[in-house]
Amino acid sequence: MTNFILSGMKYFLIVFATITTIRLLLGPSASDRLVAMNVLSSIALALLILWGVTTKNVLYLDVALVYDIFGFLGFLAITRFLKNTKDKL
Amino acid sequence: MNILLLSLILCLSIFSLIAKDLLHAVIALSAISILSALLFTFLKAPDVAITEAAVGTGVSTIIYVWAIRHTKRKDGDK
Repeated sequence: MTNFILSGMKYFLIVFATITTIRLLLGPSASDRLVAMNVLSSIALALLILWGVTTKNVLYLDVALVYDIFGFLGFLAITRFLKNTKDKL
Repeated sequence: MNILLLSLILCLSIFSLIAKDLLHAVIALSAISILSALLFTFLKAPDVAITEAAVGTGVSTIIYVWAIRHTKRKDGDK
């Protein structure tokens, strides 16, 4: 039963990642794409932790931790870039 | 499921090739590295996924954005 629920959550999160990627491809401004990438990062974090719980391996949680720290640095760089531009967002 | 992730990576890379704005292409490249780290994790290679998450998402995005900030943006064809 638990394995069934975990695999169902995995497929749901994959569908959510697909919809968010479509939003990232269609978004007219850079802010929309940035928010879509942030949501995609959250979905990827949830998928990594879900995969670590499913396989009962602690190493996948390290992947999630490193990914979240460095992903935040990337978002911070793009946000600093958007602060200094004067054009429409 | 791996096929779906690979097709998402293909769509994002085609978009980053044809994008007019450079920042949109950088955001698409960062999303590519997110999805490829996820794909490496599903293919049971967590050490490769750690390296991809550290280098692809953090360092390369910061370097690209830093390079775009120090050059002029050309908005002629919008």
